[in-house]
Amino acid sequence: MDRELLLEIGVEEIPASWLPGLTTQLGQVLEAKLKEARLDTDDPIETFSTPRRLTVRSAHIAERQTDLEELVTGPPVSAAFAADGSLTPAAAGFAKKQGVPEDRIERIKTPKGEYIGVRKHQRGRAAVDVLPEVLSGVLRAMTFPKQMRWDAALNDGKGELPFGRPIRWILYLYGGRVVPFTIARSPLAQNSRVQEINAGANTYGHRFLTTTGRPGRAVKVKNFEDYRKRLAEHFVTLDRNERHDRIARELDAEARRRGGRIARSLVGQGMLDEVPDLVEYPVVVSGSFAHEFLQLPEEVLTTTMIHHQHFFPITGDQGKLQPVFLAVLNMQPEQPEVIARNMERVLTARLRDARFFFDADREKPLTHYVDRLATVLFHKKLGTYQEKATRVQELARWICADVLKRPDLADHAAEAGRLCKADLATDMVRELTELQGTIGGIYAREDGRPEEVWKAIYFHYLPVGVEAHAPPAQEQLGKAAITWAAVSLADKIDTVTGMFAAGERPTGSRDPYGLRRAAQGIVRILVDLPELTGLDLRLSLGQLVRADVDEAFWSFMADRVRFVLEQRGYDPRNVRAVTHSAITELSALTAKRKLEVLPEFTESPEFRQLAILFKRVKNIAKNLDATAKDVGGRLTEPAEKALAAEVDRLQPMIEATVSSGTGYRQAFGEAAKAGPAVAKFFDDVMVMADDPKLRDARLRLLRRLERLILQLADVSEIVPEEK
Amino acid sequence: MTFQDLILRLQHYWSAHGCLIQQPLDVEVGAGTSHPETLLRVLGSRPWSVAYIQPSRRPDDGRFGQNPNRLFKHHQLQVILKPSPDEVQQLYLDSLEAVGINPRLHDIRFEEDNWESPTLGAWGIGWQVMLDGTEITQFTYFQQVGGMDLSPISCEITYGMERIAMFLQKVDNVFDVEWGGGKTYGDVRLREEVEQSKYAFNQQTGISAERYSTFHRHLFDETYAFAQDLLKGGLILPALEHCLKCSHLFNLLDSSGSVGVTERMAYILRVRQLALAICKQYVEEEQGAANG
Repeated sequence: MDRELLLEIGVEEIPASWLPGLTTQLGQVLEAKLKEARLDTDDPIETFSTPRRLTVRSAHIAERQTDLEELVTGPPVSAAFAADGSLTPAAAGFAKKQGVPEDRIERIKTPKGEYIGVRKHQRGRAAVDVLPEVLSGVLRAMTFPKQMRWDAALNDGKGELPFGRPIRWILYLYGGRVVPFTIARSPLAQNSRVQEINAGANTYGHRFLTTTGRPGRAVKVKNFEDYRKRLAEHFVTLDRNERHDRIARELDAEARRRGGRIARSLVGQGMLDEVPDLVEYPVVVSGSFAHEFLQLPEEVLTTTMIHHQHFFPITGDQGKLQPVFLAVLNMQPEQPEVIARNMERVLTARLRDARFFFDADREKPLTHYVDRLATVLFHKKLGTYQEKATRVQELARWICADVLKRPDLADHAAEAGRLCKADLATDMVRELTELQGTIGGIYAREDGRPEEVWKAIYFHYLPVGVEAHAPPAQEQLGKAAITWAAVSLADKIDTVTGMFAAGERPTGSRDPYGLRRAAQGIVRILVDLPELTGLDLRLSLGQLVRADVDEAFWSFMADRVRFVLEQRGYDPRNVRAVTHSAITELSALTAKRKLEVLPEFTESPEFRQLAILFKRVKNIAKNLDATAKDVGGRLTEPAEKALAAEVDRLQPMIEATVSSGTGYRQAFGEAAKAGPAVAKFFDDVMVMADDPKLRDARLRLLRRLERLILQLADVSEIVPEEK
Repeated sequence: MTFQDLILRLQHYWSAHGCLIQQPLDVEVGAGTSHPETLLRVLGSRPWSVAYIQPSRRPDDGRFGQNPNRLFKHHQLQVILKPSPDEVQQLYLDSLEAVGINPRLHDIRFEEDNWESPTLGAWGIGWQVMLDGTEITQFTYFQQVGGMDLSPISCEITYGMERIAMFLQKVDNVFDVEWGGGKTYGDVRLREEVEQSKYAFNQQTGISAERYSTFHRHLFDETYAFAQDLLKGGLILPALEHCLKCSHLFNLLDSSGSVGVTERMAYILRVRQLALAICKQYVEEEQGAANG
């Protein structure tokens, strides 16, 4: 009979950002370990979590392991039987060791020859005897963004058990009974106050809230339904979605009550996604702050509220920020107003600090802080931020004038480049580092600099996301769209090329300078240049990078281009096909335009035919000595003449497409039509003919075809996987 | 509750829970962690539980007594529990009750905040404890000190005493906190904050930047060399004190703008090397003593 399995790992507060991932992981790990242990389950495994518990439940786990059929091989047949057919001592010893009668020995054919062997039937053990090992395996297999040692060990021969946070209790029930399990403590730590942890039938409710008895005491449970109910009684909402919905609902209601609404555009999804993982029992309260602080830049107010206090700002009519905040408590307070007053005091202190920094910073114009950058190091081999600012200034000027072809805006771009790092020397950014760039932009605006300059500074750390809708949008950029692109590109190119020159390359998961993100930012701007700036320029990376860079840099950039395109959801094979050319010459925008239409063709029979044969075209075309003169051979066969006519037909059209950068749909469609002609050519024509002139002419035809198609894509990459 | 009562109550609480009550280190430090009662005691295997107040100097945080929340010198109450008991979070929460913070009336959270001190080769895992949105305590399970893995693991609880006093007394300016006997924090410490801030930033001192810089560099170099000599002589505690003096001298050079960027890194690295050497030698002697 199947029975319910319930496991709760009670922990000290797990970081909110880890919780969703760990919850999923626990389910996957348990499923894998149950499978390894041959304990069948029909139902999907359910997982739950709060900051203080990771819970997993399966409604039906088999009572026994499935039986195991095992074939054990022994010595080779040649060593197993004596001349008279009787068993040698080696073979007899094998049977004895395996615990089977000698007549059960079989001959087994293997690729290495014939061996003797026995089939063993192992009856499955009771689930309750196997489940302790399953939990050992689960605890060992869990991985964390950062793990800690806490003087714990398992008796599985592997010693110490690091974990994400200390485990304080284990609830482990199978069919309503406790599965015995123990976490041992290191001998150096163990004493009356550091004790081993034994699995039991107890859970623990909210730290401070309870309907009966003392808060935080042990609560005995019988099964999952009982567990969930008892937790609810003890102020723990186990289901994350329930917590999330309740928070969203209460926030909206409280915001309405205070005459506004949650400023979702300011808050973003981030905090609403995080808060449910910070609390076991969410309750919303609201507070207010003095009107005078509304004179501070909105960004300063919202950053202080959101990033520092996890408070939700609210907006009133016309999206204007209100002097009100909402907070999600992990508490059902007796007097909510007491907590609200305390939170108001903290926020006011922070806002007063912010105003102090703002006023102090604003005593001098932003240019003043460029000089102070001489005391801020960018990198020991690349100098200070002042030196970086000078490089970015010149690079931005050149990109704006010569690459983006807007010399009229070059002075603005250069000015924004010179000023874009200045805010790193301001008190405000030293306090609120997440506002770098934003503060510089605001101060430049206050200094009376034009939109082309201040917004270019404001947004120059963007783009961060690679998605098409990730900020900034062209409407946000306004008149600064082009100067922004110049400064953002200049800053990132300077960082990536400089860091590569300084030997700081990302390796594996290590990328302390965020070079991957910077490089993706460069690619993102090039890919979306028309949407972001209105400029329809097909820029290659080679046009942008003036610095002396090596092969490693280019191969890193090529990976980033492919990464960005794959993140956009394009098939990796198609991505390879359109990024085959030298990375210095590759236009990411052109690649994207090809990828937008390519899926329309990849499934058509003609296109598949072309794709499959194209590899052959490339291989054979290699036989042509590219430096040799055309010896003037003539094509003779109908199939080759037909192919030559196809190439003649395609050439002007493909070349026109490539030079205009538009019409890829038609070009791919027409190219696909060449599929049958190529197939007929390979059916009817022997390329490597004896006649050298004829051979040369045929090779030249294939080379022409190859060159032509490659201008669109290396279609041999697209060959569909064989079913 | 006055500032001095707060200190006394917490010391009483931890004394009742098995801690020795030690005294502050009489050398300038930036945090209670630098005190040998933490830095050295958490190394090696011997159990140790201790609590003490540590006045902590942070030259860069000096605000001439004008900022209601920031100080050149603040007070930490530092608790070290080695090994860390299973009930350590509850013990901590009970200590808040002992000073009149009823957890059922407030919103108390343990929010992720790991601690790291590259200069001491030390890091730990833990939280900042938030009381109605105010950070009042840093709670850390030490993992490494002096670049060495710790066993057993110690728990460090660092209370920000000014913050807690402001919370309890419901005042918005630290200088308005009642220290004791009707005297305010400002009565006791304002003048010191003003003068120490001037000194830390070398403003209105009448001392030239060059003289300020030369004096402190000279002190740093001499103290550093002497610390190395002390260490060679096996005098670990005096060597550590001289190392901490170097760290403070560097902080002053930094806050007064006397060091350039590349030089800054070099100073940090030198202090780190010395601190690591001291910790290492301490552990070797501990092990030697245990084996002998």
